[in-house]
Amino acid sequence: MKNKELLPALGLFLAPALLALIGMRLIPAVQAFVESLLKTNVFSGDKTFVGFDNYISLADNPDFQNTLMVTLLFTLIVNPLQVVSALALSLLFVRKFPFSRLLRSLVIFPVAVPPAVSAVMWSAMYRPDGLLNSIFTSIGIPTQGFILDEKQALMSIIVMLSWIGVGYWMLFLLAGINDIPDEIYEAAKLDGAGYLRTTFSVTLPLLSRPLSFVLVATTISNFLVFAPVLILTKGGPNGSTSLLMHDIFIRAYSFGDIGRANAAVFILIGLMVVAVSLQFFLLRRGNEQ
Amino acid sequence: MRLVRRTLSSKWLKTTFALGIALAFMLPIVWVFANSLRPGAETFTWLNPLSFQTLIPSSPNLDNYFALLETPLGRGIANSMWTTFLTLVFGLMMCSGAAYALSALEFRGRNLIFSIVIFSLLIPFDAIAIPLANIFKGIGLQDTVMGLILPGVANGMAIFLLRTFFLGIPKELVEAARIDGLSWFGVFFRIYLPLSRPALIGASLVLFLFQWHAYIWPLLIGTGESTLLGPIALANMKSQYAVDYGLVFAGSVVLSLIPLVLILVGQKHFVQSTTTSGIK
Repeated sequence: MKNKELLPALGLFLAPALLALIGMRLIPAVQAFVESLLKTNVFSGDKTFVGFDNYISLADNPDFQNTLMVTLLFTLIVNPLQVVSALALSLLFVRKFPFSRLLRSLVIFPVAVPPAVSAVMWSAMYRPDGLLNSIFTSIGIPTQGFILDEKQALMSIIVMLSWIGVGYWMLFLLAGINDIPDEIYEAAKLDGAGYLRTTFSVTLPLLSRPLSFVLVATTISNFLVFAPVLILTKGGPNGSTSLLMHDIFIRAYSFGDIGRANAAVFILIGLMVVAVSLQFFLLRRGNEQ
Repeated sequence: MRLVRRTLSSKWLKTTFALGIALAFMLPIVWVFANSLRPGAETFTWLNPLSFQTLIPSSPNLDNYFALLETPLGRGIANSMWTTFLTLVFGLMMCSGAAYALSALEFRGRNLIFSIVIFSLLIPFDAIAIPLANIFKGIGLQDTVMGLILPGVANGMAIFLLRTFFLGIPKELVEAARIDGLSWFGVFFRIYLPLSRPALIGASLVLFLFQWHAYIWPLLIGTGESTLLGPIALANMKSQYAVDYGLVFAGSVVLSLIPLVLILVGQKHFVQSTTTSGIK
């Protein structure tokens, strides 16, 4: 087929989306990288090329070091927690029992709630006089600070994010389990395998692709958590919830430090690439064994 | 007989267990919904001690929902609906068109262009939102509906999903239609679109949720009266000195109910289209 003949069709069908993707994904990414190499003079607005100075000064900054530590700790807790919970829920809800579909829909419900709305709802739940503390009081647990307590704030955000996400990731795993052929289960049954044996020797190995997809997707989305931090804690108390996206936003808008904000964007993208590659590497090695 | 009874009771055991989990997930939503039906002054009054009135208002009414209409939040929800509607219409046109070009039309450089689409998927939008917002401000798109919807209309995930589905449409069908004199536009509108309902529903959900759940982008680009979106207006209201939680919760319910209905309607198709999209 000749390209010439197709030109009008390509111009109409392909060009709009392609130009939009280039203009609104690729160009800003390139521009962000260029900006991360520049330093803007606050008074004159002049930009000078400073190489990797912005990256180096971030690495030396104690606040940014704290942000990296908090983000790392957060990543190490929230992702395994969400994947394991989603897996446990999918193993429960894949089985047929009375009202299983209705109850499954209720677990998915929080996915519909926009993240900013969830944060506003949970800020009321977490108040000292809120719903969670009143439940705690009624069973004899003293009032907790949750998002006001330096030691509990990060965990409180993790609980809220899991409430939002676990049902969603469960959907992908359910679809994966449903795709495993029934014959394999029948064969396992004939061989006398019980429920636990079937789960560990049949379901989990055959679920490794959807599981690795969910692990990678949760990792990416959890690196980008922003609205809950801004609405619930603003990075506090005492920097204990200072996640990277929030740090970038504050640098760009409160400090007007565009150069270092963009350097932080690339540190974030770099961290995501490292985390995701590491997962692929470990999963591949696990599969070969 | 004994075996039947045992499986029966183990079924109901699972139901009980699942019910406990579902209730835990629903508790915040039920509490918020209950409080959207009573005055904001009473939000925290029925908590200590817990009683049935904690979750069931004694005289429920819709006053908060009507009062919402007068607030920036009401305006913000209307703005959210309008921008999401536009994103959906333009997004579906652009993404299905691109997916069609990348699956049905054969031209040089197709693979290269498809790899640009995949590459764009790897750039997290939230991470580049700040540099993009600076570009948008430079070309006068700050506080415009156009500025709000533009980043959402070309969605790499939606293109990917639709293209995978389009690839499954038999080539013979297209060739026969071409021999009968149907143009490439005709092939798209009369063959590809009508055959692709599940994938179009899946792509709609992707486009819808991207726009409806957006927070950082509208926070950067839309602060005027006609561009302030629901989630931003809600967060603004919560950060005021005196918060009327009756109103805030009524707004939360409206902002959550709209996507919920769409997700429940599209759920079955969505699961189908993810299983056929190559994710698995």
